[in-house]
Amino acid sequence: MSTGIMLKGMTRLVSRVHKLDPGRFLHSGTQASQCLVAHLNNQVPNESPRAISRTLENDPAKHGEQHVGQHYSISVQELKTVFPHGLPPRFVMQVKTFNEACLMVRKPALELLHYLKNTNFAHPAVRYILYGEKGTGKTLSLCHIIHFCAKQDWLILHIPDAHLWVKNCRDLLQSTYNKQRFDQPLEASIWLKNFKTANERFLSQIKVQDKYVWNKRESTEKGSPLAEVVEQGIMRVRNATDAVGIVLKELKRQSSLGIFRLLVAVDGVNALWGRTTLKREDKSLIAPEELALIYNLRKMVKNDWQGGAIVLTVSQTGSLFKPRKAYLPQELLGKEGFDTLDPFIPILVSNYNPKEFEGCIQYYLENSWLQHEKAHTEEGKKELLFLSNRNPGLLERLCAYL
Amino acid sequence: MAAPTVKVARGWWGLAFGVRRAVLRLPGLTLVRWSRYGPEYQDPQIDKEYYRKPLAQLTEEETYERELRKTQVIKAAPATKTSSVFEDPMISKFTNMMMKGGNKVLARSLMTQTLEAVKRKQFEKYHAASAEEQATIERNPYTIFHQALKNCEPVIGLVPILKGGHFYQVPVPLADRRRRFLAMKWMIAECREKKPRRMLMPEKLSQELLEAFYSRGPVIKRKHDMHKMAEANRALAHYRWW
Repeated sequence: MSTGIMLKGMTRLVSRVHKLDPGRFLHSGTQASQCLVAHLNNQVPNESPRAISRTLENDPAKHGEQHVGQHYSISVQELKTVFPHGLPPRFVMQVKTFNEACLMVRKPALELLHYLKNTNFAHPAVRYILYGEKGTGKTLSLCHIIHFCAKQDWLILHIPDAHLWVKNCRDLLQSTYNKQRFDQPLEASIWLKNFKTANERFLSQIKVQDKYVWNKRESTEKGSPLAEVVEQGIMRVRNATDAVGIVLKELKRQSSLGIFRLLVAVDGVNALWGRTTLKREDKSLIAPEELALIYNLRKMVKNDWQGGAIVLTVSQTGSLFKPRKAYLPQELLGKEGFDTLDPFIPILVSNYNPKEFEGCIQYYLENSWLQHEKAHTEEGKKELLFLSNRNPGLLERLCAYL
Repeated sequence: MAAPTVKVARGWWGLAFGVRRAVLRLPGLTLVRWSRYGPEYQDPQIDKEYYRKPLAQLTEEETYERELRKTQVIKAAPATKTSSVFEDPMISKFTNMMMKGGNKVLARSLMTQTLEAVKRKQFEKYHAASAEEQATIERNPYTIFHQALKNCEPVIGLVPILKGGHFYQVPVPLADRRRRFLAMKWMIAECREKKPRRMLMPEKLSQELLEAFYSRGPVIKRKHDMHKMAEANRALAHYRWW
């Protein structure tokens, strides 16, 4: 009888062994520290019932398929240097509340990273357009790319929101350089300040290749560093727009030489070809090309230079005279914009997939952001899924008050 | 309910089944804002758990009740009562009281922004505090809201009673719902009247809620004033006949 019980015990043990998958045995065989790192970075399916929301891999260059749905953190100093502008306002609030900046690694950003890692800098710059519905994460994907390029020591030319340049401008001056165009001193000077913070180290290395005369007393000689032009633009706000134009021209000319790699990142590029709400003194509307900033930016987005990449976002939020449901590049850019940007690589940014959704909820739970008692339950999660339809922006707004 | 005013009608013309007959007490009294449902209408059962119970587990009374409900007429559930797990009747009532001109969308967004503001402020305090204090800081905006309103509820109220040609303020015990109503009303009135010109409602409301949670601030002061007046008029208490 005892042998019968022993046999039953053995068979039960054997059947349990068969139920475990071989991967588990391998993990249990290795050392404890490796086990811990593996547990944190890779998602072992049978290991824990909850999704893993964080990864220790803080370098965007090393992000891969296994990190999809996980958050990586950016240190506060990097945030100040790399993103003086450009983060969405709600994300900035979240960073302030949690005391940490964590971005989620997602497929569209990984795809773009893969393309950027394999760019051939001898060929003309490739244009990538991130498009998607409202709240799906285009701007934050752009920020992920910018962080990667900043880590790889590229020169970042980041226009946080081109829509801000075509509406609500208090002071429009007639441009000193070209009588037909208009200057926007405030926007240009703010942008120059942020550009300086982001790219300090390059400004002293790059030398201007032309002489620029600002007015009767001031001029910038040929061969002086670009920092002087930027300083001039910040000091003399009247010349700020022209300073921006010069910066763009010089960077475009010199990026092909190979001293630095240039990333042009524009959020809301459909503003360049849309309509403006700015009026002249005689109340007639201004077309976008009559604004000097827009005119120069359009030249930047053309792919007739080498040594970098152009990553763009089209968004309906903030756009003028575009229907709310429009999200495709053709609809938002219009005929003129689409023809100008024509050979580009479109990258769709869609809502979270179930794994990313779980990761996001897990991240909020870890930071104790979801304070409502019912939000921790399965019922609550199902309801959040239903209400937000896995849209990242909506989910963030829902969780803010729960 | 946009029910047309029904004058005192003698006759049955145009009345559907179940609509309460225009029974009337006084001439010239119109049936506006009263419920148009007759007494036989039952309230809807919104709770999901009630329906999820498997039929085998129901007791005899519950099966009887279920069978009975199949034969009864039931009122339509109002749009504001949902079977959501996050629903809170107090928050809904507060939102309705904040609403102006039927703009529920605006009222609800103000409410959600207030809860978010409360949460963010508490998180800031939490991160700035030391380890011992962190245990005492409450970060759940819903508990703060409920506790704040509970702290603002007066225990005793004043009612004007006509005696001998004069109105006297008589101290009177208040029903629970009257107390809750007064707390919410005072909170909203305080935030509307005493806020600086450019400050927005969510910011002011979050400030007032946090102060009331810690039992300080103008709304608590108003409650204490009410209590003091009631104490002062203690002699008139026997004017109350109920």
